[in-house]
Amino acid sequence: MRFGGFGALGKIMADWMSIKWLLWISLYLILAVFVPWATSLAWAHQHGSDLRPRPKQLFERGELGLVGLVLGISVIWDLLQSQYMPQTRALGSVLLAVSGTMAGAVWIETYCRHSTGMRSNPERAWRDSRNLAFFVFSLAVVIEILLDRFAKVTAS
Amino acid sequence: MSAPAPALAKAPRRTVTVRLADVAVTVAYLSLIFGFLLVSFPVSFARIIQNSWLNGNLTVAMMVIALSIDACLYVRIAYRLSAKPTVLAAACLGFLPIVVVAGLSSCLQGAVNYTVSGDLPNLQARVGEEILAHTYLGLVSGIFLPFLVIRLLQQLKAARSNRETESPSQTAASVSSY
Repeated sequence: MRFGGFGALGKIMADWMSIKWLLWISLYLILAVFVPWATSLAWAHQHGSDLRPRPKQLFERGELGLVGLVLGISVIWDLLQSQYMPQTRALGSVLLAVSGTMAGAVWIETYCRHSTGMRSNPERAWRDSRNLAFFVFSLAVVIEILLDRFAKVTAS
Repeated sequence: MSAPAPALAKAPRRTVTVRLADVAVTVAYLSLIFGFLLVSFPVSFARIIQNSWLNGNLTVAMMVIALSIDACLYVRIAYRLSAKPTVLAAACLGFLPIVVVAGLSSCLQGAVNYTVSGDLPNLQARVGEEILAHTYLGLVSGIFLPFLVIRLLQQLKAARSNRETESPSQTAASVSSY
C-alpha cells in the first residue's frame, strides 16, 4: 500500500480552509472570556464604579477550566458523530474528557478550598486554569482539523 | 564535644511536585505545531507519517519523542523548583510513555484492520487519516498521561501522609489535585 496519490487531498498547497475550525472554536473564547469581561466593564460603567477588572481578576477562581470542559464536551460530540473507527473515536473522546475534567477540577478545588476556609492561591488557580484551558483548546483545534480532513475523504 | 552548628546542618531538599498545568502548556504548543503542519503541508506532512508507519518506524519515533519531551519537562520542573527528582516519578516517566505508545499502536493496528475489512470507498485515504489521528493522539497521550499518573500518585501519597499525621494545619496545606 502506498499513499502517493492521496485521492481528494491531492493538492500540495496549504489547506487553509481548515482554519474555519479555528474561527468556530474562537467563538467559545469570545463568548466565554471576552463577553463576561466586557459585561463587567459595562456594569461598572452603568453603576458609576471604579471597578476595572482584568480577565485575570475576573477568572481568578479557575473559571477558565469550566470553559475548557465545555469546549471538550462539544468536540467529543463532533468526534462521536464522525466516521472514524470506534478505536479512534474512543481514544480521542477519553483524552478530551480527561483533559477537560482536569481543567474543570481547578475551579472545583478552588471553590472547595474557599468554602472550607483553606488556604487558596488565586494566582495559581488562574495560571493552572488558563494553561489547562489552553491545552483543551489546542486539542480541540487539531481534532477539528483532523475531522475536517476525514470528512473530505469520506465525502469523495 | 561541641554541639553541631544548626546553620551548617543541611536542610533536606523537597521532592519534585508535578503540576499538570506545566505539562499542559508544552503539549498545547506541540499540538498547535502539529495542527499548523497539517494545515500548511496537508499532503507531504501526512505522507511522511503514513510512510513511516508503513516502514515500521512510526511507533519507535513516537516513543523516542514522548520519552525525550517527558524527560525534558521533568528535569525542567525539578530545576525550576530546585527540588530533588524521585525514583518513582523517574520510573513512571521511563515506563509509561513506552506502554502508552505501544498500546495505542496496537489499537491503531486494530483500527486499520477494521477499516480494511470493511467494504468502504476511498480505503487508502481512510487508512491514512486513521494513522494521522492515532499519531497525534498517541503523542499527546504519551506525553500527558504519565504526568497525570504521577500527579495522582503524588496526591494519593500526600493524602496518606496527611492522614497519618492528622492536624488541622497540615490538612490545610494539602496538595491540589490538578
